[in-house]
Amino acid sequence: MEFLNNVLVKPFADMAAAPDFLIQVLWEGLVGGVLYALIALGFVLIYKSSRIFNFAQGIMVVFAALTLVGLHERGIPAYLALPLTLAVMFVLAVSIERVVLRPLVNQPDIILFMATIGITMFLIGFGELIFGGENKVMITEQLMIPTGSFEFEPFGGFVSIEQKDLTAVIGAVILVAALLYFLNKSKIGRAIRALGDDHQAALSVGISLSTIWVIVWFIAGVIALATGIVWGARAGVSFALEVIAFKALPVLMLGGLESVMGAIIGGLAIGILEKVFEIYWGQPLLGGNTEAWFAYMLALLVLLFRPQGLFGEKIIERV
Amino acid sequence: MKALFKTAILSSALALGVGLAGPVAAQDDSIYIPNLAYRTGPFASTGTPLMNGQRDYIMMLNERDGGLNGVKLQYDECETGYNTEKGMECYEKTKARAVVTQPWSTGITLQVLPKSNVDKIPILAAGYGFSPMSDGKVFQWAYNPPSSYWDGASMILQNISGGDLASLKGKKIAFLHLDHPFGKEPLPLLEAMAKKHGFTLVPIPVGLTEMQNQSAQWLQIRRERPDFVIMWGWGAMNAGAITEAVKTKYPMNQFVGVWWSGHDGDMKLVGDAGKGYRSISWSVPNSESGLMQDIKKYVVDAGKSQINQGEGEFDSVFYQRGLMISLMLVEGIKVAQDHFDVRAPNPEQLRWGLENIKLDEARLKELGADGMLVPFSTSCSNHTGHGGGWILEWDGAKFVKASDLLQPDRAEIEPLELEKAKEYADANAPWPVNEECKM
Repeated sequence: MEFLNNVLVKPFADMAAAPDFLIQVLWEGLVGGVLYALIALGFVLIYKSSRIFNFAQGIMVVFAALTLVGLHERGIPAYLALPLTLAVMFVLAVSIERVVLRPLVNQPDIILFMATIGITMFLIGFGELIFGGENKVMITEQLMIPTGSFEFEPFGGFVSIEQKDLTAVIGAVILVAALLYFLNKSKIGRAIRALGDDHQAALSVGISLSTIWVIVWFIAGVIALATGIVWGARAGVSFALEVIAFKALPVLMLGGLESVMGAIIGGLAIGILEKVFEIYWGQPLLGGNTEAWFAYMLALLVLLFRPQGLFGEKIIERV
Repeated sequence: MKALFKTAILSSALALGVGLAGPVAAQDDSIYIPNLAYRTGPFASTGTPLMNGQRDYIMMLNERDGGLNGVKLQYDECETGYNTEKGMECYEKTKARAVVTQPWSTGITLQVLPKSNVDKIPILAAGYGFSPMSDGKVFQWAYNPPSSYWDGASMILQNISGGDLASLKGKKIAFLHLDHPFGKEPLPLLEAMAKKHGFTLVPIPVGLTEMQNQSAQWLQIRRERPDFVIMWGWGAMNAGAITEAVKTKYPMNQFVGVWWSGHDGDMKLVGDAGKGYRSISWSVPNSESGLMQDIKKYVVDAGKSQINQGEGEFDSVFYQRGLMISLMLVEGIKVAQDHFDVRAPNPEQLRWGLENIKLDEARLKELGADGMLVPFSTSCSNHTGHGGGWILEWDGAKFVKASDLLQPDRAEIEPLELEKAKEYADANAPWPVNEECKM
């Protein structure tokens, strides 16, 4: 009886008793969800255009953030370091297309997946060689990201919203809106979607595979940079940022690998639900750290009923 | 084709010759010291300055003195990324020539422990690993000087209680820890102390993927309102926790970490906002000491160090702690050299050396490391030394010493160490025990 009370009644009673705390939990979940969605977007874009599951997306986040901070450390002002980092990400996209992807066209998906593991290993070693392994401070103020906090006292309680978190949410919304506009309204965006739908058909109407791949990897690099700035502003820039890529996997399972909207909604859902579950059920009943597995359990549940994810395309293959 | 064949034969012969001759030559001319290092991965920010320190101390000895008693020290790193599986690969790869194993992770240490009895290579886990390794009767090949995690937890409790553990009665202490063997290591002692002294312990685990986003853990801390937070963090977890503590406005003077949570690089992220944060430490940086001046002269200024001088790594706690770790190891090698009258001691002789280290104040002064390391000595039964530690406090720009030398409550810890050591031996029976070793 007590168990049922702890599972079904007490968490909701706690929420009602401290609504300010619930608001804080929801806000933290939303911020986490936005960040998960950003990482998942990088995966989705590349998968949509090339059917490659890009294992290197996590290390691209680290590499982009390290490049930005590393350039600034070498005396380059932030307003120059930012475009220079974008240029580095473009060079990286061109190099990946030329050196890794182009020779592997028409190879099985698993070969391309393995190639992205190779890219990961290379970027780990290369990044370490150039920038070292120390934790670096993100140039938050130099990038004009506000660092204070807004504090409210709703229901006689206390809610604190970090300005950099708010900036991250607003920045992510703008980035996603721009991306959706680009994908749906621009010529290149339509070409990317066409490649995602049918490689052969897209090629037959003159869409250049190599150009699209460079563009897509560059966009994934831009998203990686945005993610790196936001995460780096929270807890520094180090190779540990790579680990957060694992948080995107359940988001992809939930939202579907091909869906931009799936990545966004999946990311937000997981961010908020895992936080609420951890605070009201995980910590009191299971000893905490349920965030390590909750998202996977949720994704598994969804897969039971929708194997293609919430927004993924249902593939019917006739054999 | 014929030329190619000849070249191949010659190359193979050379490779075989080098392979066979290498270890023999090494036995005479150098001492091979592998280090299962981690300069990459999520824990690189912690590992890099420590490894730099370990490497530079050995290099300084080779440059300044031509090695140790005329024998070159051959320092070699095998990258583990703090990953237990990779650590075991590194162990297998280096053990044939190794005089010591430096596993650099509690997870790897626990895996290597049973193998040490078979391979007969001493393990040096300086300030980490399984705390009951202190019991040299049971863990004949494992050493964790100069203080164990349980010593550290005991000293932190003493510090936050103002020296009166009874004052903790009714208080709530959150234990924020990495969800990993390292993070869980002090739990048995803290649980026993909570029971005995009447305080509430709230363990709060942090998963690997949550190290940089600890909002849930700090929301729990906000809800629980603990009187103190003790942190057992490593790598990116430290920076994540400290930034969240600042965000949550948790009082820094009620927040204390283990020695691996007292890293300048992590604190620089919060700067002034982290003022008052403390960590227990068995080493204190002193850049003006004779030893540091020699490091500067023979390694750093000579352009042979890998430290990031722009970031002030030379003056940092972790770099100088890395130096102290190699100092302890080299002292063990020297003790073995002198005792057995050999140029390059074998692992078995080094085992004896490591359990006869006497790094008292006079010896530390002689080595130019006066006040940089807690004085301690090891013995057959005491593989830790239990030298104690100092409290370091972040002043907004650097860590400064903020206490006299603290000592762990050995009367509380020792029975638990012996009990857990016995439990370990029983669970891994047949486990060899050194009966000749007197307590």
